[in-house]
Amino acid sequence: METLRDTFDFSDFSRAERIGLLLFTIFLLIFPWLGTGSFVKSVAIQFLLFSLFGMGWNTIGGYGGQVELGKAQYVGIGAYTVALMMVWWKIPFWVSMPIGILIALGYSFIIGYPLFRLKGHYFAIATICTSLVLQDIFINWKLVGAAKGIELPIHGHPDFLYMQFKSDTYYFYFIMVLFYVAVFYMNWFRKSKLGYQLRMIKEDEEAAESLGIDARWCKIKAYSIASAFVAVGGGFLAVYNLYIDPYSVMDLDLSIKIALMSMLGGAGSMWGPIIGAGFLVPLDRFLGSWLGGQRGLIGVDFMIYAALIMVVSAYQPRGIWGIIEQFRRKGT
Amino acid sequence: MIILDALLQGILMGLLFALVALGLTIIFGMMDIVNFAHGEFLMIGMYTTYWTSLLLHIDPLITLPASAIVGMLLGLASYYCLVKYLLRGPMIAQLFGTFGLMLFLRYLAQFLFGTDYRIIKKGLLVGKSLSLGSFILDWTKLSAAILSLLAFVLVYYLLHRTKLGKALRATALNKEAASYMGIRTDRMNALAWMIGGGTVGIAGGLMVNFWYVYPTVGLLFVMIAFASVAMGGFGSIKGAFFAGVIIGMIEMLFPVFGHLIGWDFLGPHFKFTLVYFAYFIIVVFRPQGLFGWKH
Repeated sequence: METLRDTFDFSDFSRAERIGLLLFTIFLLIFPWLGTGSFVKSVAIQFLLFSLFGMGWNTIGGYGGQVELGKAQYVGIGAYTVALMMVWWKIPFWVSMPIGILIALGYSFIIGYPLFRLKGHYFAIATICTSLVLQDIFINWKLVGAAKGIELPIHGHPDFLYMQFKSDTYYFYFIMVLFYVAVFYMNWFRKSKLGYQLRMIKEDEEAAESLGIDARWCKIKAYSIASAFVAVGGGFLAVYNLYIDPYSVMDLDLSIKIALMSMLGGAGSMWGPIIGAGFLVPLDRFLGSWLGGQRGLIGVDFMIYAALIMVVSAYQPRGIWGIIEQFRRKGT
Repeated sequence: MIILDALLQGILMGLLFALVALGLTIIFGMMDIVNFAHGEFLMIGMYTTYWTSLLLHIDPLITLPASAIVGMLLGLASYYCLVKYLLRGPMIAQLFGTFGLMLFLRYLAQFLFGTDYRIIKKGLLVGKSLSLGSFILDWTKLSAAILSLLAFVLVYYLLHRTKLGKALRATALNKEAASYMGIRTDRMNALAWMIGGGTVGIAGGLMVNFWYVYPTVGLLFVMIAFASVAMGGFGSIKGAFFAGVIIGMIEMLFPVFGHLIGWDFLGPHFKFTLVYFAYFIIVVFRPQGLFGWKH
């Protein structure tokens, strides 16, 4: 009962934030009916997807303060589980996605156990390494399509069991539902025992241990939660793109983007990952479509993107949410 | 015989890996920053030698100083324009800051030079090989290995036998105490970035003689360099040297062993996977590396 109350209780946020969330929800609900084109719709879907990834990352990376740069491997696990089960045994999405989550959870416990012996830079690079190893295996594994990847069989008619639709509107509402499940979960998470323990570990790990918190176990748990989130997004990616390969779902760039968006928005805050994704995804896509198409300007969009990353890291490491809070404190 | 040959080739390649890792380990040892852009420094060193030798019609060996100078300037510029400010922030900001630098340099190269694969085709040593009995060694690789050794000896001498080196090491050990002693730590940091950039620039200049250069070539080498640095112990120069050579040998021996015992599926695709895996095992079971002296 208390869990349920914590989940839906947003009363400890300021009034502006609650009104903002409400307006944002209404905006999302009517968004597909605003006469938006398919490109804008796909940007919106990507934004919601990356917010989902970012909220997952935020548990371990934001609240736990661990620099985790290997989330792409769980995107891959989720996506490959859904895709392979559909291709091999025609198992519906609603069965294969939970299985994907379970595999991601199991794998994250196996990997997390040795991984969390490490700290700081060692940990960050080790997470990259685990992700690259898995990617290399998938690139060379003939059974799962190797570097060519796998195509999902396309059904002619809309199919709710296999989550295949012609129109992006359905996908938009589906990812929106997942997004709100994540928002409510995060709302519970930040007030849960694990959430408080993680913030304590982030502040001072030794002090946390002296109070009887098993830091390593807490981190492993948060890591698995993050992995489960990301695996859900991976499963969605498989049915949305209907085609996956190791480069699109397991690349290092994807891991970095996930972590980067949360950091840019403000790691360790409820709205940070959403703001970060809302800022970077459209920037990335619109710059890409605006500049990428023009001859002789290939790569300029990424240069602008990279320059932005450097400026934010150098001047405001607490992200956009950090700036907002700074202004707010000045105001009162 | 085939094993000995692979071993020799591995040592030559490993000496270059070690030279790439040298800059990374110096920078890490000085200020606890992992430089993601290190591989991109290498790429720029490669492009510098490629373009100067192509446009000025000079032998690629003589243009090495150009690569070194460009590398040093790049290191200095990165320090004064970016890293100096990153040092004030938390670790995650430092990681992303150098990551941003990496992306920036990569796409700058793509913007300027396109995505073509380029390699030096003409040169004094290119394409020639030295045969020692039944071993055949490429002169390009051999000269690269010799120059890498030389660079190591020089940097080691600089750090352990000169006053400047003493100041550098003092800054690495305790920044505050060093600044009380009148050492200008800011300049020492910049110097570390300069040495780091310069050595990796040389490595790039040597490598482009036998390795294709393209804008994303850096990632593979930066991961190998991370693995070498971790294996040798973060901040240890001796460690980077031996770890680089060991990784070079693993990389060459592994496919040969796979072939000999009939596990062809282990083939050459996985040779770098093994390096990442080795990194993981080493840091988990021996976090201080083989020669770690700090942390």
